[in-house]
Amino acid sequence: MATAVVHKLLHHDRSNRESSSQPNQSSPPAQNDQDMAAMDRDRDEEKHMLAQWEVKRPLSPAQIAVDTNQKMVGHSSRVLRQEDFELIKTLGTGTFARVWLVRLTNPKDGDQNKVFALKILRKVDVIRLKQVEHVRNERNVLAAVAGHPFITTMVASFQDTDSLYMLLDYCPGGEVFSYLRRARRFNEPTSQFYAAEIVLILEFLHEKEGVAYRDLKPENILIDAEGHLKLVDFGFAKKVDNRETYTLCGTPEYLAPEVIRNTGHGCAVDWWAFGILVYEFLVGQPPFWDQNPMKIYEQIVEGRVRYPSAMSPDARDLISGLCTVDTSKRLGNIKGGAGAVKAHSWFRNIDWDALYHRKVQGPIVPHLRGPADTRNFDEYEPEPEGREEYGPEMRERWDDCFTDF
Amino acid sequence: MSLPPDYSNEISALNREILKAQPSDVLQFCANFFLRRLESQRAEFLLSQQHSSQKGGGMAESTFPGNNPFGTSPSSGIITSGMHRLEEEEENDTIASPTASSFPRTNMENSQANKSGEGSFGNFGGFQASTNRSQGLKSQPPSAMDSQSFPSNYNMNRRTSVSAESLNPTSSLHDNWTPPYHQKTSEQQARLRAAVSGNFLFSHLDDEQSAQVLGALQEKPIPTKGIKVIQQGDVGDYFYVVENGAFDIFVNKSGKLEAGPDGLGTKVGSVGPGGSFGELALMYNAPRAATVTSTEPSTLWALDRVTFRRILMDSAFQRRRMYEGFLEEVPLLSSLTPYERSKIADALETRKFPAGTTIIKEGDVGESFFILESGEAEVYKRGIDKAVNRYKKGDYFGELALLNDAPRAASVISTTEVKVATLGKDGFQRLLGPVEGIMRRNDPSKLGMDDGVDPLAKGR
Ligand SMILES: Nc1ncnc2c1ncn2[C@@H]1O[C@H](COP(=O)(O)OP(=O)(O)OP(=O)(O)O)[C@@H](O)[C@H]1O
Ligand SMILES: [Mg+2]
Repeated sequence: MATAVVHKLLHHDRSNRESSSQPNQSSPPAQNDQDMAAMDRDRDEEKHMLAQWEVKRPLSPAQIAVDTNQKMVGHSSRVLRQEDFELIKTLGTGTFARVWLVRLTNPKDGDQNKVFALKILRKVDVIRLKQVEHVRNERNVLAAVAGHPFITTMVASFQDTDSLYMLLDYCPGGEVFSYLRRARRFNEPTSQFYAAEIVLILEFLHEKEGVAYRDLKPENILIDAEGHLKLVDFGFAKKVDNRETYTLCGTPEYLAPEVIRNTGHGCAVDWWAFGILVYEFLVGQPPFWDQNPMKIYEQIVEGRVRYPSAMSPDARDLISGLCTVDTSKRLGNIKGGAGAVKAHSWFRNIDWDALYHRKVQGPIVPHLRGPADTRNFDEYEPEPEGREEYGPEMRERWDDCFTDF
Repeated sequence: MSLPPDYSNEISALNREILKAQPSDVLQFCANFFLRRLESQRAEFLLSQQHSSQKGGGMAESTFPGNNPFGTSPSSGIITSGMHRLEEEEENDTIASPTASSFPRTNMENSQANKSGEGSFGNFGGFQASTNRSQGLKSQPPSAMDSQSFPSNYNMNRRTSVSAESLNPTSSLHDNWTPPYHQKTSEQQARLRAAVSGNFLFSHLDDEQSAQVLGALQEKPIPTKGIKVIQQGDVGDYFYVVENGAFDIFVNKSGKLEAGPDGLGTKVGSVGPGGSFGELALMYNAPRAATVTSTEPSTLWALDRVTFRRILMDSAFQRRRMYEGFLEEVPLLSSLTPYERSKIADALETRKFPAGTTIIKEGDVGESFFILESGEAEVYKRGIDKAVNRYKKGDYFGELALLNDAPRAASVISTTEVKVATLGKDGFQRLLGPVEGIMRRNDPSKLGMDDGVDPLAKGR
């Protein structure tokens, strides 16, 4: 591959991982063989380290807050490249990314079985779809939150001339979406379990990290080997802290009214979407729907949720608290924050502490033949050929935006 | 020992049924109820099993822990030949709804509205042409319903995300953006106002926003017939209102305009004066759902997404910053963190009063607090015949209402038309808890009142 050579020249000088959170100053490429050899050693070491990393025990929120350079996960790697991974199968495609199941090439002894999910974004697509800002947010938020028990861990990120890479731990259970559509709806205990793990994620993102996630839906929630949830796709996640933000993003059925009306939004949008999610778990489809998206938005802004008569009063009360148009009355956003959601009677059987430490068994534990089993994922079309090039002018103009990777 | 939650759920569902049906034979009714529940749960299980067997994995092989009602011995007592029937019942959702048929059919309103629109233009995803018709669907269905009344055509596929270009208000402070303004006659303005009045994107605008948006609409002459104003499948950036002329709307089943004589697809409708089309483009950049061509020389008004959303953003942004600024000046709230202040600013409600309105009245029980956003007001006290004080922009009053139920100490009467931002005590407490707790952060001795008050409210 021609790009591989270019890539080597571009990147092998940047092995000083310590400064990775800074935008790195490009120094001239190293010229001699010695450097090359040192570089290869670094790579092998790093690959071994990655293979050894495992989600044995979740980090506590305080441990997660540690600088990514000391955490051993979530760093920006200056040595890894696509050739270090064998692409086994496409796990999923999104609007601008393709996610592959990958295995290490030339693994050390004992590392052969380790697989990852590698999310690959082509810079051309990112630029064409005006997602530069979002992709940077995605990488930086994932780096900051790496280690949380219910968020997919970004083990490392890297880039080459035309693509950006995020190496993620592989969640072999597939999307909650697939289970939900197959079962049509979840019963109450199943819904409560998954909803409760999501509450812990939102509590952490909002109250520890000041991050709004902004794309909650069953498609972005995966099940790991032990049956616990992993939130993926931080493409719209943003550190908002206490400032409102205005860019419209999300998924039509899950958009909060304030996003549609463009009056400024914050973490409260996730609580709205969480209400929609619980509804969809219990009912099998979201509360606001029409073939015409404008009609969906009209219903959302109106905010009148209709409940099946079979829904329990507690569930109904929770959803109506969350799906409240007025943010100053919305559960999760009012006094108590996530704590008020956790205290809701629909969650009265949840032991929150045990849940965080993954001590509660989930309702669906995927049966797998091995670590690289992909039976829980759908088949996807192969990647289209002959796409637009990331040419020199584009590089000139945009590459500075990608230095975080 | 508490009862298992599943049990309590079942019993409360049964209680509701009994209340609704008032059966004479209670025992039989209960027995029927539980039989139905059992049947539908097993159906649910079978359904999931059946689906997953197609893929040879998934739920069928999943382990269900004990708290799952159909987990323990799913296969016992299930007669496979009954599966089809069971499955159908599960579709109809007999769970706790034996009285379903007695539910008012108004539940169907939405789905019927969809049906009547079928084949007409309104239903082609992402596109909506509105003639100036009124919105006839405002009467709302009751809050409870049965799942039969769901539109059964829900799209079960994976959903993709959408996003618009990023908008950043902070930069607008520097480059001082003002929306484009295109002169219009007052008749044109009135026509435009009427044309967009039925559209929910416009109905929430305040007067200033509305004036800016109408001002930004740009005239676009369409000189001849046969001009494709928008093309199905193309990216959409503009929303259009028809000033005069006529347009036909075509949809090609392939999802985009194609070459050749039949490339337009089938005609699904037409739009005339006062009609509009392409409003999804005001949200984000989605492919056009139809092609619209002129059938005679016409005139359109056009509005682009960035202008529209920027007008909304800038006014929201300025309003928030102004409110935060006002709140900083209120001593009672001086210990709020910036985060809390922005929450309160978000919750403030704008209200307008004509000149001469008594906004608060001496002796009344105070419930809300006010900030004067524009205009002027005077303060009167009983027994004194001239104003004891005068309020202007940024002044606040009635803040003690957040603290206690003491009667208002004075009356405030507007002398001009005024705009106030207001928040009630309950609204404040809902967001941040009792204001006493917040004041004590500064100085615990400051109040010296009511020591039973919760000192809590760390906020966050
Ligand atoms: N860590 C992972 N393990 C297994 N599968 C994954 C993982 N991460 C992502 N996937 C799969 O790939 C799909 C697409 O990933 P992702 O949502 O991150 O891409 P995207 O382009 O940002 O999508 P979107 O269109 O939702 O914005 C996911 O829905 C999921 O099925
Ligand atoms: Mg996704």
